[in-house]
Amino acid sequence: MDRVSKDQLHYLLLKTHSLTGLVPIGAYLCVHLSVNSLRTVGVLPYQLSIDAINNLPFLIWIETIFIYIPLLFHSFMGFYLSKNARYNLARYRYPRNGLYTLQRLSGAVVFVFLVYHVGTTVVPKWTNGKHLFEAAPFLIEIMNMEFQTWTGRIIYLIGIASAAFHFANGLWGFCISWGLVVGVRAQRNAALAFSLVGVVLTVMGLATVFEFSVHPESTVPTIAGVFSGKGGG
Amino acid sequence: MASDNIQIKVKRQDGPESKPYWQEFEVPFKPHSNIISCLQDIQRNPSTCKGERVNPVVWECNCLEEVCGACTMVINGRVRQACTALVHKLDHPITLEPMSKFPVVRDLHVDRTRMFRNLKKVKAWIHVDGTHDIGEGPILPDEERAKRYVLSECMTCGCCLEACPQFSKDNNFLGAATFAQVRLFNAHPTGKFDQEQRLDAVMGEGGIADCGNAQVCVEVCPKHIPLTESIADVGRQTTLQILKNLFFK
Ligand code: HEM
Ligand code: SF4
Ligand code: SF4
Repeated sequence: MDRVSKDQLHYLLLKTHSLTGLVPIGAYLCVHLSVNSLRTVGVLPYQLSIDAINNLPFLIWIETIFIYIPLLFHSFMGFYLSKNARYNLARYRYPRNGLYTLQRLSGAVVFVFLVYHVGTTVVPKWTNGKHLFEAAPFLIEIMNMEFQTWTGRIIYLIGIASAAFHFANGLWGFCISWGLVVGVRAQRNAALAFSLVGVVLTVMGLATVFEFSVHPESTVPTIAGVFSGKGGG
Repeated sequence: MASDNIQIKVKRQDGPESKPYWQEFEVPFKPHSNIISCLQDIQRNPSTCKGERVNPVVWECNCLEEVCGACTMVINGRVRQACTALVHKLDHPITLEPMSKFPVVRDLHVDRTRMFRNLKKVKAWIHVDGTHDIGEGPILPDEERAKRYVLSECMTCGCCLEACPQFSKDNNFLGAATFAQVRLFNAHPTGKFDQEQRLDAVMGEGGIADCGNAQVCVEVCPKHIPLTESIADVGRQTTLQILKNLFFK
């Protein structure tokens, strides 16, 4: 194969940025918010789903390869693109130009939120050595504490809404960039469909935050083969 | 209006390297006048509101019917053609600025060479002859012809680039107008001969992937060219080209 030229590299990086937004990051966002919304069904199903994840073999590798690396790549490219944009919404006040600006802004908000979110969940989980069945009760307790204050609730509401918006609007951009949606009417209909996606994801997130806030429940580690159920709180 | 005069503020610049500055002029109000006729009035009597005699304001124009693109400038903060900017429809005082994304030659006259260079990059033409006879092109359904006709109306005015947040003086983004021409010539049965070369030209730095879908271009295009549809269409062509390059070459 020939050496990759500067032009090809530039194009490849942009296409990879676009693709990573959808898979794996966007797909992960959907799974993550869905799993979390199990909390609204009950703390036990929620705990079992976290157990399932924390008992995956090679978890750290899966997380690194399918989440952290793509996310960091997408984020740094995103900041680079945001920095180079010549925002002109003040002059050209069109809805799409507003969404273009918001896409960049929400990306930055999501990034800050994720640093906080990962720093207060995954990092303490590792530093405290809470693995396998030990992880779920530990994490659930952190979230219970988080949602006892309005500061915690608001941080999560902003983070979730920004991520849902960024993903939904990103899906729309993705479909146009890759030419999956071409005609003007098709683009409008896609925008309607994707705003629904954004709303559903936001509502799922909000419902989870609500449930945690209203019914904080602590749990004890599941014993494999035996449903230990809830304890404490 | 209190007086029958119109105030016009012009952002002036004496040469490509010099600093811009503002000057205010007053011209008599005439019904149905446009910005071109106001600039002609300033040319006749180039004195500012302060009574200072100055060099007449430089601008470019040609067709006077919004088909050549030469008189494109930023009028009251918005890019458009001076010929179709009717004075009675504008807010006053009127401000005139050169486009900000192209090098200024002098005053309101800018250098749009980049646009023509971009058209060359993507081979925005059709070979009619060469080393061998390619014969006549096939007859097309009228619906196809009509679709392509709209794209052919582009006058390379630069509005879509001036208003695009991804297009700047210091990058090499090709811009919406160029992508629409790629679509036009790739849609032509004879133009298709160079399709892969055109796609190759937009699959690099400043190419189609640099578009951020802000869709301001389509809002400001005076010829109502379906720019966003063209961008998506070229996006689709490049996606297919990627697949072809990856799996069939
Ligand atoms: C929850 C995490 C994230 C998800 C699910 C996500 C998803 C997406 C998706 C699907 C796209 C559309 C790709 C396209 O336009 O083709 C996108 C675009 C974009 N993302 Fe993200 N993203 C995330 C985090 C971030 C972060 C942290 C940043 C950093 C600022 C960022 C910046 C951007 C930018 C600037 C674009 C627009 C690219 C363009 O249209 O040219 N994203 N994102
Ligand atoms: S743009 Fe053409 S269209 Fe308008 S006057 Fe100028 S020269 Fe003409
Ligand atoms: S596409 Fe429209 S706005 Fe852009 S150069 Fe052509 S005519 Fe002007």
